[in-house]
Amino acid sequence: MLRKLLKHEFRATGRIMLPLYLILLATSIGANFSTRGLLETDLKVLDLLGGLLVMAFAVAIIAVCVMSMVVMVQRFYKNLLQDEGYVMMTLPVSVHQQVWSKLIVSAVWFALTIVMVCLAGLIMAVDIDILEGIGEVFHEIFQHVTAYYALNGTAIAAEFLVVCFLGCCAMCLHFYTALAIGHSFSGHKMAWSVAWYFIIQFAVQFVGGMLVVLLDESWLHHLLLGWTDSWKISGMAAVHFGMCVLIVGELVYGAVFYLLTTYFLKRRLNLE
Amino acid sequence: MAVLECKALTKNYGHTAALDGVDFIIEPGRIVGLLGPNGSGKTTLIKLANGLLTPTSGEILVCGIAPGKESHALVSYLPERTSIPTWMTTNQLLDFYQDFYADFRRDAAEEMLQHLNIQPKQQIKQMSKGTREKVQLIVTMSRAAKLYLLDEPIGGVDPATRDYILSTIIGNYDPEAAVVISTHLISDVEKVLDDVIFINQGRVMLQSSVDQIREEKGMSVDELFREVFKC
Repeated sequence: MLRKLLKHEFRATGRIMLPLYLILLATSIGANFSTRGLLETDLKVLDLLGGLLVMAFAVAIIAVCVMSMVVMVQRFYKNLLQDEGYVMMTLPVSVHQQVWSKLIVSAVWFALTIVMVCLAGLIMAVDIDILEGIGEVFHEIFQHVTAYYALNGTAIAAEFLVVCFLGCCAMCLHFYTALAIGHSFSGHKMAWSVAWYFIIQFAVQFVGGMLVVLLDESWLHHLLLGWTDSWKISGMAAVHFGMCVLIVGELVYGAVFYLLTTYFLKRRLNLE
Repeated sequence: MAVLECKALTKNYGHTAALDGVDFIIEPGRIVGLLGPNGSGKTTLIKLANGLLTPTSGEILVCGIAPGKESHALVSYLPERTSIPTWMTTNQLLDFYQDFYADFRRDAAEEMLQHLNIQPKQQIKQMSKGTREKVQLIVTMSRAAKLYLLDEPIGGVDPATRDYILSTIIGNYDPEAAVVISTHLISDVEKVLDDVIFINQGRVMLQSSVDQIREEKGMSVDELFREVFKC
């Protein structure tokens, strides 16, 4: 059933995101023409056109990024908590499948948005010296990192991508939790959702801050220091350890939001 | 086995009781009118049967199981408002129902849509409010469910559409299934009902067959309703 939910979720969101990607790619071609000559001509009309094409490209990048966020929130809100919720929440599927379908589709669009923005950037810069320059810079950075840290450059890049992906999922779940809690109230549901978003944000920052304060000079701090001294852990290993802690932390952070979201959708759903 | 059973079912909204110790059983093969004035608890009861609300106390069972993923496969629900995704075309909506419900009869739905001259490629948001309601009713009644829960199916539509809706319900439900029609428009639905449940202020006032009311009280359901709920 999750597969079927995903199919319809992609169908619902694709009709918004795919045309936006096409617009982004079209504007990147326009921006490419601008940077390749339009902006350097003596003709004021072409100069103006070049400026407008570059501006359209910038607006398209912003629009695609903003819309991937808006679609993520709007699909959860409209499809599960508004009128469409009467159809969706009475399907023979579990609440877990509903939440996973929304989460997976949002994460895919976020990832695809990053890919499309990079692709649009490359199209905009194609046949321009700067592209070769940027390519060389990246290649050099990677070579240096790999040479200096043995093969760990690739591992760090992979860990960084995992951290980013989990961060996106946790961010979605933060929104879902706030909406699910806010819509369990009998009135002012959206106002409560916004309030809960900030309450959760505050609570997370407070708990995070308290952990840093409490763990500083604590037994855990000294234990970790002891490990680095006795086992001669290298700086690189410490970075990997830090990344792993970050990944586990994000998993816990996301799991708490997931449990809250599914609890409120299952036990406190209040469609009106 | 009872298709729908409520045992001391109570639902509170804050300090207000929307349902207060409701008990009844609905057997298969019956068309039941859930009748009561506005705010009597009809919609709350139907939402509880669909798992859209959780009871404060008591129990509600659909074919012997608590509302959830399994019971959703047995219940065909028509909400009081248009809830089908309006960005879809009629064809996409049929795909959607066919994907999720094994008992969905696509041929029956297509026949009814064709009868109404509704184009399969037309987006639902381009349709009039009345047509949207008909499309929603068609997909609801095109399922071979065990229990049909229809919340105000004839509220807010013209008399001709009311007749169409009622004939669609009668012509398409599985005779082994039960149909619950929640409404306060008694005179329109009376002719199709086998049983009635009168509900007021969250309590069941009466559960009886329509024939019994006519024989014992010597009045129609509409007349009895007006007498029971006289202001």
